[in-house]
Amino acid sequence: MEVGRLPISATQKGKLISAGYTSLSSLSSLSPSLLSRDLSITETEALVIIKHASRGGSPSRSPAINGAQTAWEMLHEEELFTRITTSSADLDNILGGGISCKEVTEIGGIPGIGKTQIGIQLAVNVQIPVDCRGLGGKAIYIDTEGSFMVERVLQIAKACAEEMSANYDFSRNGLPSGQVLMQPQDFLENIICYRVCSYTEQIALVNSLDKIICAHREVKIVIIDSITFHFRQDFDDMALRTRLLSGMALKLMKLAKKFSLAVVLLNQAANKYTEGSLQLSLALGDSWSHACTNRIILYWNGNERYAYIDKSPSLRSRSAPYAVTSSGIRNLVSDSKRMKMM
Amino acid sequence: MPPLKSLETEFPILDSNFRSFCASHGILTVEDFLLHDLHALAAHAEEQPSSERLRQGVDQVFAIIDTIHQPWINGMELLEDAQKNKRALSTGCERIDSLLNGGLHEGHVTELAGPSSSGKTQLCLLAAANVAYQHKGGVTYVDTGNSFSPKRIAHFIGQVDQKVLRTVMNSIVCHRVYDIFTLLAMLHELEFRRKSQMCKGDGGVSLLIIDSISSLITPILGSNSPQGRALMISTGSLLKKLAHEYNIAVLVTNHTVGGNRGTIKPALGESWKTIPHTRLLFFRVCGSNTCDVSILKHPYVASGKAAKFTIHD
Repeated sequence: MEVGRLPISATQKGKLISAGYTSLSSLSSLSPSLLSRDLSITETEALVIIKHASRGGSPSRSPAINGAQTAWEMLHEEELFTRITTSSADLDNILGGGISCKEVTEIGGIPGIGKTQIGIQLAVNVQIPVDCRGLGGKAIYIDTEGSFMVERVLQIAKACAEEMSANYDFSRNGLPSGQVLMQPQDFLENIICYRVCSYTEQIALVNSLDKIICAHREVKIVIIDSITFHFRQDFDDMALRTRLLSGMALKLMKLAKKFSLAVVLLNQAANKYTEGSLQLSLALGDSWSHACTNRIILYWNGNERYAYIDKSPSLRSRSAPYAVTSSGIRNLVSDSKRMKMM
Repeated sequence: MPPLKSLETEFPILDSNFRSFCASHGILTVEDFLLHDLHALAAHAEEQPSSERLRQGVDQVFAIIDTIHQPWINGMELLEDAQKNKRALSTGCERIDSLLNGGLHEGHVTELAGPSSSGKTQLCLLAAANVAYQHKGGVTYVDTGNSFSPKRIAHFIGQVDQKVLRTVMNSIVCHRVYDIFTLLAMLHELEFRRKSQMCKGDGGVSLLIIDSISSLITPILGSNSPQGRALMISTGSLLKKLAHEYNIAVLVTNHTVGGNRGTIKPALGESWKTIPHTRLLFFRVCGSNTCDVSILKHPYVASGKAAKFTIHD
């Protein structure tokens, strides 16, 4: 039945069908007062239904068709996009240059592997000005676990600012006059931080991100650390959890595409039983694993940290080592190893 | 089917007299008409003073109903249609083509189910590139997870002249869809365009890919209201209708969930199982680029047949 595909509530659909309106054509030429009397609903509700019906009946105004692009246009668009560097050249290499905007990237691993460190590094790196081959944008950091330490952000920001002034010192003549290099405090100002304490808060925040980003157009990255925390414990209804998570995933995808920003989700590790052996994978189950465009799994290899591309439509499955230092994420140099617990 | 009073403008014979006669028997819409005992209705109509007009009204309603249902087709016509209009589109991977007895068949809905990172999106991209390049058909790619990669498509097409590359890539159109209602609107738009193009001749879409349909349906499925399942089934039947009437091959991807005793099975449940004509299950051998594909359901190839393929760079 054609009224089945209108985005209205189930009770309204039921009322429409029992009153005999099963096709869109029977609705489009109706007046709201007549419909409201037939269905015993308010006139405003009747007006909304008729508006949806008339939009569905004249297909040339469908927004989905107008937003379509051919592969050729997208190929050229892709080449213009700057990627967000992770400050580790090896990691950037396997990512094809860095974290790409317009995609949802999921990064996960066991505790202590450096997920929050990568999150903070990306929140700082997105602010590198365009002149220094960065994006010059702001960051939104959604903290669900309470692991966002401002002192650490300041430390990483200081190191980033120092590196920028060192690398671009000789090109100072090229910078337009009046351009001041960023101070560490400026980095902190451009990170918008939210602390969520329950899954309802998390979903409410994701729903309102659209409005928030419309007001702060310079935001180029949204980091959620971590998406699993509030969904993993005390959830009785698994079917509800799957529905909520997949709805949230779609909204984040839409956000990434609409505002051309990168969405980075940090996830916790879990064990998966496949082919008779336990394998390291990420939490929230099989249905969540389809919610991201790219997935990176972080793991220990002996005493060194490695990142492995688990899922990507365009990148090869490769590993690269990286290190967590006092200035943030950097390339692995052989003596930055895991601290041995005595 | 509309209520009778809205038909009065088009068919003046269904005037208020006719309608009040029908209303006295509980008939308010064309649907009620079909459910009623027509002999009894005709007998009652004879007893009325304006029986001639009432009979004409009844005949008119029958004429309206005749225009609504699909025409009868016999087996020979179906066979002719299958041989002439419905070709098999090669996916670009020989092993999978031989597994599927030719490739993706126009008029059929093929489903690729598999756990994450098992090669489903890669096969979709390969099929899109191949159909656009070899078969010169239009491709509509509906992407729900921002995983359409034009770089990969260009790679699959290979080293060709820039002009050729441009023409081929221009025939692949990518739609970003993030909820089921937009998908339904888009499919109806596609149907509307094809209906108006049918008279003009060929040159439309030959391959429709939805990657992945499960991410659009999972948020609405399973709650207490049956609305989710109703939307899933109506999307499925719309896809089958588009495939059959406009000779399009439809390719959808689905994810998997855990079944009994650790086996994996495709998501979306029992009701979805009847929608695709062909179902393939993907499984990636861990730590390598090889994937196993096996047939879960096919109109004329035995289930259980399997093949391996490798994802190259």
